[in-house]
Amino acid sequence: MEKIALTIDGLNIVADKGMTVLETALRNGIYIPHLCYHPDLKPSGVCRLCLVEVGDEQLVTSCRMKVEQGMVIKTKSPEVDKVRRAIVELLIADHHTDCRNCPSSGQCELQRIMASLHISVKRMRPLKWAREELPRDTSNPFFDYDPNKCVLCGICVQTCEVVQGTSSLYFVGRGYGTKVAFFANKSRCESCRQCVARCPVGALIPKTVR
Amino acid sequence: MVNRQRMILVCQGTGCISGGAEQLLSSLKREVAKLNLGESIEVKRTGCHGFCQRGPLVVTEPEGFFYSKVKPDDITEIARSQLPGGKPVERLFYRDPITDMPIPYYRDIPFYSRQQRTVLRNCGNIDPEDIEDCLAVDGYQGLRKALHEMTPEQIIREVKQSGLRGLGGAGFPAGRKWEACRRAPGDEKYVICNADEGDPGAFQDRSIMEGDPHSVLEGMITAGYAIGAKQGFIYVRAEYPLAVKRLRVAISQARNKGFLGRNILGSGFDFDIEIFQGAGAFVCGESTALVLSIEGKRGMPKPLPRPRTAEVGLWGKPTLLNNVKTFCNIPLIIIHGSEWFAAKGTERSKGTAVFSLTGKVVNNGLIEVPMGITLREIIYDIGGGIPGGKAFKAVQTGGPSGGCVPASLLDMPVDFDSLTAAGSMMGSGGMVVMDEDTCMVDIARYFLNFTRRESCGQCVPCRVGTKQMFDILDDITQGQGRLEDIDLLLELGEAVARSSLCALGQTAPNPVLTTIRYFRHEYEAHIHEKKCPAGICQALSSPQGLN
Repeated sequence: MEKIALTIDGLNIVADKGMTVLETALRNGIYIPHLCYHPDLKPSGVCRLCLVEVGDEQLVTSCRMKVEQGMVIKTKSPEVDKVRRAIVELLIADHHTDCRNCPSSGQCELQRIMASLHISVKRMRPLKWAREELPRDTSNPFFDYDPNKCVLCGICVQTCEVVQGTSSLYFVGRGYGTKVAFFANKSRCESCRQCVARCPVGALIPKTVR
Repeated sequence: MVNRQRMILVCQGTGCISGGAEQLLSSLKREVAKLNLGESIEVKRTGCHGFCQRGPLVVTEPEGFFYSKVKPDDITEIARSQLPGGKPVERLFYRDPITDMPIPYYRDIPFYSRQQRTVLRNCGNIDPEDIEDCLAVDGYQGLRKALHEMTPEQIIREVKQSGLRGLGGAGFPAGRKWEACRRAPGDEKYVICNADEGDPGAFQDRSIMEGDPHSVLEGMITAGYAIGAKQGFIYVRAEYPLAVKRLRVAISQARNKGFLGRNILGSGFDFDIEIFQGAGAFVCGESTALVLSIEGKRGMPKPLPRPRTAEVGLWGKPTLLNNVKTFCNIPLIIIHGSEWFAAKGTERSKGTAVFSLTGKVVNNGLIEVPMGITLREIIYDIGGGIPGGKAFKAVQTGGPSGGCVPASLLDMPVDFDSLTAAGSMMGSGGMVVMDEDTCMVDIARYFLNFTRRESCGQCVPCRVGTKQMFDILDDITQGQGRLEDIDLLLELGEAVARSSLCALGQTAPNPVLTTIRYFRHEYEAHIHEKKCPAGICQALSSPQGLN
């Protein structure tokens, strides 16, 4: 395997050719916040949290950036922090934050990201909190979908499509109204629950848990 | 068949049709027949003249009399004016809005005399549903020359040397894109014409497809030959039924004449074009989302880093995607050469720009100007200034994601780079003029309302960031603005612009950022004094709001 030498946060690192910057960082114990990345899936690059600085202040999603010889990566910098913080706070302001009653509390990626960036709900910029509580989708026989907690990472969508080959859930709507929905033909869902297991937050919850 | 002796041209663009031009055309034909003038006078349908505000428009040739706001009652008089010794219908002449003097001739109207119509060369002059009319004005001559006298490499070199930049918004050098597509490995390649014009108030691409569809086809066929493609698609909005109809007619006529299909003009080159109608999502104008849409998938842009569409595009094959106006320039560059084209415009923005000039300006309509012209020349010389003696406040260029440029920058040249430096952009060519009665906070709110709804919803900054910014702007216009809101808008705007996945999110904050940059005092008046200086925001303009 061809080796690639690069620098991440000042550390000299050797990676295999073809690896992404995010994979390389994680493998070397450098945490880059991320929500939509899953090792078994194609990086969709939609959460925008894994943005890093490559060379001359250009911000690039590290999940899709392949390592290159001599690359200089900064996972933290004033530029990166400013943008990343804003994205996390935007997500939180839009998220149902009753963590104590959430079955995913403790395993939640959003909680982990908040902790890593030292963001607390009390000390956020003065954003508007989501006004209305959206109804849960309970139409699937095996699990429920809570749009108030969904971060639209797309992991469930891709898992159903790629791993299970069923595509029984997908994005619907546009803009702020986008959410995940089940297709009318629910019988296609094989209850593999891979989507539930991979949900980084508490948006997909098995019916038995409640 | 074209009869250049005497003609009455009746505009049949969408604007004039909505003013009753279809009926005018048929009654004019009847009237001319009744006067036994049918032998010597041709009553002809044409595409858009651009001066839609004055429609329905009728022009008589060869004199060039220009009749505006024609009504059914005027038909008899126009027909009679064509009788031997007949006099022109003076009361229908366009009148100068300032001097009120009638201007009889098309060529003398200031709206037209300052323009440089090259992309729009045939719009309003030919019958868009008759290929013979198009052939009479050198239609398909560029294709003939390209196929018989030039190699694909020579064509690409010519396009590169012309300096033509993509006219869909981003301004990427067209020749470089063509070259990348030609060099990309693979036997199967595609050409796509992006006609998904979704900006509110923009109608350049529509008018061209309605008025001169063959130039679009000719540019696409030439591109297919240059890059080695056999199939082309026109991705056009379903909201443009007339454009779709005229493109269909043009494609079938071009097939009959041997410009499309197998062995085009005996050259051995095969190429065909299909129309694909979009379902009205603004984001599908983005190249990767457009490609997904043709593939039958949800239109969501693909994030960088990724291969370019020129290398991996439709069904994974190399795909050349250009805007309607870009393709329209190709036949001219082939016929007249790259030097002819490069002589127009500025050092880094060659050729002309087509704008939809709208808003608070005397002359509204479709215009074409050389790159590098100043905003002042467009708004005051062509546009005739601001109506009602009001003061100019700002002009927004480039569609809903463009910025608002203030009066202090009126002498700025209009080209890709200057507009970007001012915080705006060339975009697809919308140009909305605003007068002193416009509230800049309300305008920012208006445009953001459009982009936030049209966000595809996949990436966080665009989906949630534009919504947050909209909510804050909405509060400010309702008199609920907080002291920290201006800084918050700037912070969020920068974060959304820097971290969004595609150009929609990256440019969506432009109207907000530029109005704060150039009109910060208006935001402050809304927030601190609870006043709307322009008197637009109702919650603030009421007597209660002022106290």
